[in-house]
Amino acid sequence: MTALARAINDPQPVDGIGTRSPVDGLDRRSVGFLDVLAQSVSAVAPSAAATTIPLLVAVVAGGATVWSLATAMLLAFLVATTINQFTRRIAAAGSIYTFVSRGLGTAASFVAGVGLLVGYGFISMFALGGAGYYLTIVVARFWPALTGSVFVAGLLIIVMAALCLLVLARGIRLSTRITLLVEAVSVLIIVVLVVALLVRLWPVLDWSQLAPGGIDPANFAVGSALALTAFVGFESASTLGVEAKRPYASIPRAIVFTVLGSGMLYLLASFSQLVGFSALGGTIAASASPVNDLAAAYGIDAIGLLLDVSIATSFLACAIASTTALVRVLFTMGREGLLPSRFGRTHPRYRTPFGAALVAMTVITVVLLTTIALSGSVWQTMEVLIVGAAGGYMIAYLLVCVAAPVFLRRIGESTFWPVLFAVLAAVLLGAVLITYLVVESGSARALGVWVFLGVMALGLAWCGLRLRGRPWLRDTIGVYDVPVTGDVLGGPAPADAAARESDRAGP
Amino acid sequence: MTGAAHLGARQPKAIQSALTVLEEVARCGSGVTAREISDSLGLPKATAYRLLNLLVQDEYLVRMPDLRGFALGRKVVELARLVAPAQPPEAVREVVDRLRSRIRGGIHLVRYDSEGVRVIDPDPDYPPSVSVRSARALETSAMGRLLLAERGAADSVVLGEDPELAGQLATIRSDGYAHFLRPGAPGTGCLAIPIRNREGLLVAGLCLSAPAARIDEPAEFLALLRMGARELAPLLA
Repeated sequence: MTALARAINDPQPVDGIGTRSPVDGLDRRSVGFLDVLAQSVSAVAPSAAATTIPLLVAVVAGGATVWSLATAMLLAFLVATTINQFTRRIAAAGSIYTFVSRGLGTAASFVAGVGLLVGYGFISMFALGGAGYYLTIVVARFWPALTGSVFVAGLLIIVMAALCLLVLARGIRLSTRITLLVEAVSVLIIVVLVVALLVRLWPVLDWSQLAPGGIDPANFAVGSALALTAFVGFESASTLGVEAKRPYASIPRAIVFTVLGSGMLYLLASFSQLVGFSALGGTIAASASPVNDLAAAYGIDAIGLLLDVSIATSFLACAIASTTALVRVLFTMGREGLLPSRFGRTHPRYRTPFGAALVAMTVITVVLLTTIALSGSVWQTMEVLIVGAAGGYMIAYLLVCVAAPVFLRRIGESTFWPVLFAVLAAVLLGAVLITYLVVESGSARALGVWVFLGVMALGLAWCGLRLRGRPWLRDTIGVYDVPVTGDVLGGPAPADAAARESDRAGP
Repeated sequence: MTGAAHLGARQPKAIQSALTVLEEVARCGSGVTAREISDSLGLPKATAYRLLNLLVQDEYLVRMPDLRGFALGRKVVELARLVAPAQPPEAVREVVDRLRSRIRGGIHLVRYDSEGVRVIDPDPDYPPSVSVRSARALETSAMGRLLLAERGAADSVVLGEDPELAGQLATIRSDGYAHFLRPGAPGTGCLAIPIRNREGLLVAGLCLSAPAARIDEPAEFLALLRMGARELAPLLA
């Protein structure tokens, strides 16, 4: 008889396995692969990015737009595989914040955590604002008097924030299903547009747009840094570590699929936009809304309304996904004691991090509306927010890439390729982050950089003060889901344990 | 994602490696680290870590809370069919059941292979009392002695160790069956009939455990057992 057969026939109790996970209270192991994939895809919002980012990149990188996007895709892929060194081994709700704590310790995890909160928080506000902005455009098509009304946008934002809170409270499955449907529809609309455009242009397709001639390396670097912002959010599936079924399989897969899928969409979209404008004799950089302009120029104007609706819904999906990720990081911090314990509470019936959701949605809505009221423009507010969000994500990515080799060494599973990828990603990300902040601080969105740095400083000050008051935090930071007795061979199955409990209670 | 369609030519090897890793975790006990597994199996590190992570993904293994160690997951129970001996075919069980209805006493069917003797169809009404896992136990049962006699014929070293046992084993070979009266439990004994394949190799055995008096006078049921053994030979060889 083999040792395995013996172990199966006569399971031995396993030491060090408890009956409760520290992240107890979430709906453990309940959502499938599609839901996990939807979380990452929606947080990236590929359809909204595919219509806006090529323009943003083309303004600096010109003819090298497609190559800048390809470089960003490669970098995102390197970061994704490095993050997956953690997602294959740790099932957490705190995502990068938790991962960094396992590699680099408490102080670095504070920086990554605040960066991640800024990323998710600012993107949530950006997406809510974007949904409001585009819905206002749709509304104005029917009631022209309301064109550009900030008041209508504000009302719509409040309604959608309430919707987000409802979805967050009711459960992760409802929110991921809705967001996947919404995102799939808007990606489909983009793909139809792009294919229609390419089919029309096929006889006169200008392949020379792909030739990377005469590119200034500095502009290329800036272009790639901007292009990377189209990918941020791909890692957010890792906040579902506790709730996903088979998390060590589904989350790494979802993260890689998201990067590759959205990357392909961006390459296709940016190429079609470049050749579309070149065939018209113009350049994409001169257009304010390239996809709408192209649709109009090629006589498919009717799709404009559809496009606006799809971008609005994509933004809403992004808001739901980003707040889903945000509240799980806040939940983790609440459980650890870094934030007040109300953040660590879960809804007794729906098993969602309701405490964090309530606070987060309130703060997000109030801050967003106040900023819009102060600036008087939804679009300007969004521009500031996206800069801050990108900075937050990149700091978190950079730290997780530095943390990965240390973590692998610590658990004794360090091998050549993962370490090489992590080091490569960290070096490139460092360069991209600095380039990005320097470039943005000299642009019209400079305010975004200062807001980002200010919020980071405030967040870190909070962490520092909290740690001074509660030195024991060093031991609690970095909670993740651990196997409980029901998961291992030799522990009583949950039903058995309950039965035994009632036997003991009986006469 | 998974399914028979994906089982390419290389997969059986992967399954074998995966089972080897599971076996190693079972052998070392919970808490064994990836490094220890790759060292003791002589697998390249990257291969061992990939296999371990795949097994964790599919929940056959769990990573311990310290993130370094591994333990068997609840799901390995699903592998029980792969690692446990298979049930004998229905035709075999019918023959054995018929013998059980005609002969009073416990009738067990055993298999012989390179690792020794395994009971594959124990009599549900008279569970076999002896454990035949250790080599020493072979001497203390008829089913074990049948195997010793067989080995003795092939390898004369066994015979030289104990002249008395050697004589008894020679008797077994000439009689064509083994019997043994248990000294610890006076009054009971057992008897084993060989089942051989076409080449005459011992592949299985039919065993009877019954009161010693009946084992001493086996004539009445020896014929029945031999007939059963002849019926079983083509089914088991």
